[in-house]
Amino acid sequence: MPSLEKCIDDEVDLFGGNEKQIARLKKTIGLDRRRVVEPGTTAADLCETAARRLMVAMDLQPTHIDTVICVTQTPDYSQPCNAAVLHGRLDLPKSCAALDVNLGCSGYVYGLWLAHMMVSAGGCERVLLLAGDTISQIVNPKDRALAPLFGDGGSATLVQRSEVEAQAWFSLQTDGKGFDRLIVPAGGQRAPSSRETQAEVVDDAGNVRSAENLFMDGAEIFNFSIVEEPKAVRDLVDYAEVELDAVDYFVFHQANRYILSNIAKRLKIDPSKVPMQTVERYGNQSSASIPSALCGELGEQLCSPGTRRVLLSGFGVGLSWASVLLDLSQLSVCEIVDCTTSD
Amino acid sequence: MSLQRFIEDFEEAVEDIEPNSLTAATNFKALEAWDSLAVLTVIAMVDAEYDLRLKADILKDCDTLEALYARVTG
Repeated sequence: MPSLEKCIDDEVDLFGGNEKQIARLKKTIGLDRRRVVEPGTTAADLCETAARRLMVAMDLQPTHIDTVICVTQTPDYSQPCNAAVLHGRLDLPKSCAALDVNLGCSGYVYGLWLAHMMVSAGGCERVLLLAGDTISQIVNPKDRALAPLFGDGGSATLVQRSEVEAQAWFSLQTDGKGFDRLIVPAGGQRAPSSRETQAEVVDDAGNVRSAENLFMDGAEIFNFSIVEEPKAVRDLVDYAEVELDAVDYFVFHQANRYILSNIAKRLKIDPSKVPMQTVERYGNQSSASIPSALCGELGEQLCSPGTRRVLLSGFGVGLSWASVLLDLSQLSVCEIVDCTTSD
Repeated sequence: MSLQRFIEDFEEAVEDIEPNSLTAATNFKALEAWDSLAVLTVIAMVDAEYDLRLKADILKDCDTLEALYARVTG
């Protein structure tokens, strides 16, 4: 986590002094505090801090890592990929493969899928999965629809071969026709950066953004989330021949409390099985939100003895959504650590 | 299902709206409480009560609650 904390109560000016609107957002969406980076700190820095903590906790040497996967939409450079940059910073061996996955809120599960396949196919003993984003840096601070929503975060997960046999069921889906519902329209090759793309424009609702800032069609993303997520979860448990009630925890991408409670309501699942407080503590952390909930809200439960059946599910930019059903026993989960790096 | 019931559902869905304060002719987008959050809560209400995926374009096209009700039930 970045150490800088912002609170929506301190941003009354962004809402034109409308304290009622802030109260509604706090009560219904669950917005409150969020962690954001200082300029100069990147997702790679956050992921490096997480990776170093994990390597100490697992007594892991750089030479033990066969592949490093970085999931991010906010890399340090358009080239090379973050995985190569972090490969160097973590002193990983030349025999270690390194690649990025350009996905956001569904990306952690996609990363787990890749790591799981690499290990289960026999090609890798250990895969280091680094998922993190600094979405706060691509949101216009004057966009009151998005600015109070997003926080930043980085995570590190080790997927390694084990003698314990445990099955995992994955479901990965895409609707590319919705690619423009959640997008940074300019700054890539399709619409290169220019004075025009950097110009701030005020939309009908009074939100300010440029074509190089993140745009989200909130209504359509909400529709997408409450329609596709419950269906994906039901289809996955059916495929795995597991009863919905037999799942101990449903860890969704921590978009916001309102979306999560609507998904839980449609699935008719016990809300106590659905962590949904991460966003009010840290903000929507994109690809880092699921590991953030695992280490924060569920850390103690996952470290205690016994096996838990956990369903992880991410959804967002793409449009893309992905779920995995896992049996986890005595998972080693580190605490959340602050990242103070800025260089 | 009736227009009156829809207006009541709308009043309940949007925070800070008093019961019995709206009519069929109310321009809901001119309400002080109409914001991006209200869009979500109305979409969720229509999905739950009327089993319809309310597209953002429909909300953009309509001004009065009567017009919105016609699109939801049409």
